[in-house]
Amino acid sequence: MKDRLLMLLFVLVCGTVLTAALVAVDAYTAPMIARNEELKLKRSVLAALHIPFEEATIERTFADNVTVGNAGGTPFYRNAEGIVAFAFTGSGLWGPVRGTLALTPDLGKVSDLTIIHQEETPGLGSRIAERSHLDRFRGRSILPALASVAAGKAAADSDVDAITGATLSSNALVGILNANLAARLPELKEATR
Amino acid sequence: MSSPAALRRPGAQTWGTFLTGVWRDHPIFSQVLGICSSLAVSNRVENAIAMGAGVTFVLLATAVFIAGLRKLIPGRVRMIAYMIIIAAFVIIVDRFLRAFFPPISEQIGPYVGLIITNCILMGRAEAFFITNTVPQSLVDGLANGLGYTMTLVLIAIIREAVGFGTILGMRVMGAGWVNWVVLSMAPGAFFLVSLFIWITRTLAGKDA
Amino acid sequence: MSTFVGLVTVFIATLLTHNIALTYLLGMCPFISLSKRIETASGMGIAVIFVVVLTAALNWPIYNLILVPTHSELIYYITFIITIAASVQLLEMIMERFLPALQASFGIFLPLITVNCIVLAVSLFMIIREYGFLKSVVFALGSSVGWTMAIVVMAAINEKLRLIGDIPRGMRGPGIVMTSAGIIALAFLGFAGIVSL
Repeated sequence: MKDRLLMLLFVLVCGTVLTAALVAVDAYTAPMIARNEELKLKRSVLAALHIPFEEATIERTFADNVTVGNAGGTPFYRNAEGIVAFAFTGSGLWGPVRGTLALTPDLGKVSDLTIIHQEETPGLGSRIAERSHLDRFRGRSILPALASVAAGKAAADSDVDAITGATLSSNALVGILNANLAARLPELKEATR
Repeated sequence: MSSPAALRRPGAQTWGTFLTGVWRDHPIFSQVLGICSSLAVSNRVENAIAMGAGVTFVLLATAVFIAGLRKLIPGRVRMIAYMIIIAAFVIIVDRFLRAFFPPISEQIGPYVGLIITNCILMGRAEAFFITNTVPQSLVDGLANGLGYTMTLVLIAIIREAVGFGTILGMRVMGAGWVNWVVLSMAPGAFFLVSLFIWITRTLAGKDA
Repeated sequence: MSTFVGLVTVFIATLLTHNIALTYLLGMCPFISLSKRIETASGMGIAVIFVVVLTAALNWPIYNLILVPTHSELIYYITFIITIAASVQLLEMIMERFLPALQASFGIFLPLITVNCIVLAVSLFMIIREYGFLKSVVFALGSSVGWTMAIVVMAAINEKLRLIGDIPRGMRGPGIVMTSAGIIALAFLGFAGIVSL
């Protein structure tokens, strides 16, 4: 009995020491990480809105060309042509998937799509972030909802080919987009009227 | 653990340790460790290299920590101690990468979890680091890491070439090649690893 | 009613389409080394189900009711590992006291579970996917039952193989286990798309 209590004590001490180290490192790196995340978002929005940019001047390009609006408490982004973009997030197969979805001004079709972060199976599910897959979404109708179909079988306006061998990740991405659209479309319609 | 004669020749013992990790007692084929990750990550050569490098790096660090602290870790909590030390270390490295080298961190992101739970780390910590000096543990860690990476890359070369038609992104199969997609997925991983086990075990003369 | 359907969906998904052993390839080390006999496999499986469900049920409130309100999500990894280790120790203690025969038959499996990747993986998944408490428990149950199912099927096949087997020397042991696992994984691929999680 005493044995086990001693063990528990050791584990708690060990855990506390390591936790302290972690917290210290986190405090030190948090501002840099936050800044990197912000840059990633801006890069992704600029790409989704088809605004050319240089690494060194991302902030300036963003400030000059993107109008930031507010729909239901969360921001959305517009470019000169009225293309509306917003950040989406959700669960993929392994971890969170985050990116930016850009819609045509009539909020009926996908203009473009970029992925900021995903943790899917490297070489397989992770290919959902590749340009070749993302391009499949361009021009697809989002009404009533996007649909993921087997590769080569896309027929209706809202069908998107999945990646062979990465069905689960492809379906997950479409599911995430639909869920985010369902949540944000009404507010976006309001805000862009 | 070693005869008096061997102890008198530290160089020989080190080389012996190295050889054992890389071939004789190979982590995947002999000890049957690190299977989870070798199945999941060996579908492309660049993933294999990244994972192998990551595991080797953490193996070396773990060797230093565990061997260095071996007199302080009580017997019964060894396993948990390994796990929290390894987890804390990997998370700290991940934080630094995310702050200072975001592109690398994006690449390594999915592996972080896989590295923490990689049985090779626990296995070596328990079998070697906890009972050996830091220098010896470093050699063992390096050897196992290299053996593991070598295997992963070998398997990945085949899986990528046949499953995607490329190696390291460069096209190696002719234009008419139809990808064997199954090889880039879970079942293909099992088949290939078992083939490798068959070949290496037969060569090494090992029995079940 | 729809919550119930949702939960059943999760359960079926974790058994078939998102099987933690055959789709995610987690928990492989014990999967390969302990699937030689049905007894061993089912023993390990039952112990795993216990521990996975228990730790998921513990880790969920720890994360959502302690770590989140105090903004300490950062340490969730280490906290989960400690919870798992503590649960297994607790379980061993309780079994030693009240169910000594059962504990003796579990033998070394119980401590081995601490390092089984799926215990940690289930807790991590439920947090990343932001499941509610009930969904997390059903997810944990389904995942561990799915893993047990896979390992018992493997053991059954391996037992038969040994009876028939003219297995080449190099293939004996892990080699042939991997090949059988591959074939089963291939079969499970057929389930993909039946339910979406």
